Amino acid sequence: MDFTANYDMFLNEEHDMLRQTVREFAEREVLPHIREWDRSGAAHGEGPETRTYIRPLIEKMGKLGFLGICMPVRYGGAGMDYLALAVLCEELERVDSFLRVVASVHIGLNSMTIFQWGNEEQKQKYLKPQAEGKKIGAYGLTEPNSGTDAGAMESTARRDGDHYILNGEKIWISLADIADTFVVFAKTDPAKGNRGISCFILERNMPGLSSYPLHGKLGVRAGNTGGIVMQDVRVPVANRLGEEGEGFKIAMTALDSGRYTVAAGAIGLIQASLEASVKYAKERHTFGVPIGDHQLVKRMMSHMVRKMDMGRLMVYKAGWMKNAGRRNSRETTLAKWHATVSSWESADDAVQIHGAYGFSDEYPVERFLRNSRGGVIYEGTRELQELLQADYALGHREIAPPLRCELPAYNKEVWEAE
Amino acid sequence: MNIVVCLKQVPRDNSVGIDAQKRIDASGIETITNLFDEYALEAALYINDEHGGDVTVISLGTEEWLDQIRRAMAMGATDALLVTNDADYDVYAASQIMTAAISHKGRPDVVICGRNSTDDESGAFAPMLARQLGWTHVTYVNKIISSSATHLEVERQLEDESETVRVTLPAVLSVSKGEVEPRFPSLLRVRKFAKADVPTVTVAELGVQPTSRAQVVDRVPPPARKSGEIVQGADTAAKVAALLDRLVADQVL
Repeated sequence: MDFTANYDMFLNEEHDMLRQTVREFAEREVLPHIREWDRSGAAHGEGPETRTYIRPLIEKMGKLGFLGICMPVRYGGAGMDYLALAVLCEELERVDSFLRVVASVHIGLNSMTIFQWGNEEQKQKYLKPQAEGKKIGAYGLTEPNSGTDAGAMESTARRDGDHYILNGEKIWISLADIADTFVVFAKTDPAKGNRGISCFILERNMPGLSSYPLHGKLGVRAGNTGGIVMQDVRVPVANRLGEEGEGFKIAMTALDSGRYTVAAGAIGLIQASLEASVKYAKERHTFGVPIGDHQLVKRMMSHMVRKMDMGRLMVYKAGWMKNAGRRNSRETTLAKWHATVSSWESADDAVQIHGAYGFSDEYPVERFLRNSRGGVIYEGTRELQELLQADYALGHREIAPPLRCELPAYNKEVWEAE
Repeated sequence: MNIVVCLKQVPRDNSVGIDAQKRIDASGIETITNLFDEYALEAALYINDEHGGDVTVISLGTEEWLDQIRRAMAMGATDALLVTNDADYDVYAASQIMTAAISHKGRPDVVICGRNSTDDESGAFAPMLARQLGWTHVTYVNKIISSSATHLEVERQLEDESETVRVTLPAVLSVSKGEVEPRFPSLLRVRKFAKADVPTVTVAELGVQPTSRAQVVDRVPPPARKSGEIVQGADTAAKVAALLDRLVADQVL
């Protein structure tokens, strides 16, 4: 059955055709190779091997308009809305998480952040080529000694005339070895804690900036994850995104975009787990009947359906709010929490349905399980999302604190204007 | 160059049934553009990447086909026509209707079809269409080697050899799976054509009176595959010997 049918309260014909296009792209360009790429990432770690296939693939995604999907045409984008971004992420992760990760960091964390906080010059210089897919963006917040506690970051940015001098290290950076541009955070005033953090756009070719790949990851092995090291990197003041001291707020709004893509992708992963399970449950017989006739197998599949449909509605609600220009931090973190935890549970059930075959990479479900685990950690851990939801409910956390720059509401005419 | 591509919508997989009237029952199965028609469209777009001109997609189907027609436009087709059918036509009648539809849109230089549809599998449509049009036809084209305003040079992939054919236009081609993969629609075109109006005409409006000449008398599913046989033997050597005896007896070896 078509699990994506009857969402036309949110989606229109454009989204339907988009879904078909992305699905065909992922199924034709990636699916036939993904087991080999995933194995290669596990055997050799990342680096040159990964880059040989990931670069041409990203170039193709750029030419089709995927990488600027929700950006206005005048900034090089495809002029579609924020719900289209969700559909893109669902369909990419339905095939493999590494594809959705490209969308998450390049579009969600980097481009949308420049779109929200950047001045016109920064949008022309950085956003436009990124939306056109000519340059690839990444995002650096996490450090070896700070993750959820982002305010504890150790990277510094010291003002020196028309430049800042950046020092520090960022880790768990998706596309660290691939990206051309990095949105990174560093302390301009360490004494001020969160209020002393500022945000900068760095270019790979800036002297003092280097990257390295991470090895031995549990999942997303077909993708590139690494670290970036900043040693006296001179960054022009013009590359500061937002005001000095606004970095923490910028980082949090970036996560409103990034978590949205993670949530949408996780729905695609649940769907992939479900589809694989449905197929296998019809083929595999035990005790004289297809295993889909056994009630406990049915239960696992029905739970996947429930989690997927709930999650999809949550994601689309957040996307609808983004389109309307409403603050959606609460809804986005809720969707991200539900969808990622559910994707892990669903992939686990899918492995169980596949029995011993699920324990081998002869079937895709073990890859789904490994890939899904990261989403429960990155872009806000499960535990952080739990605390946030309780705090919203208790009234300890403001739903929509004032922001100097909001993510612009989607306006079809403005977005489609040349 | 003005090119017409004939496009058909088919069920995604072959898990179809047969209804009481002996018709194919594909209800509940996702429908897609016939695979070979995708290659036909790509061949047309490929030719016009060089020459420019119109690529018109023409379908004989129902309004449910509009999504696939719009998708073809998002891939690069410049115009389309849906002929709404009101009856089950055989291939001959379909070729009569499509001949009228092609004339309705003007006079193209080339008409490109898939080598067959993956549902009916007759493979007769393109030759019949060429006959109706009175044009040359080249079947099983897998590569467009070169094109000019008056000629096409194409490669036909046959069972044991490939054949290079130079054909004078106008002509009808039927294409098989080619070397150039069908392109994906760009999102800018998806946005532009997702709701595009597609001109629609009825068979009657085309002024054609199709005559079906072939009738499906019966339709039955293929017989179920016989179950396999496990060769018995005391040990592996005995089993292998028994297997070899069996293969020789059945003239497999």
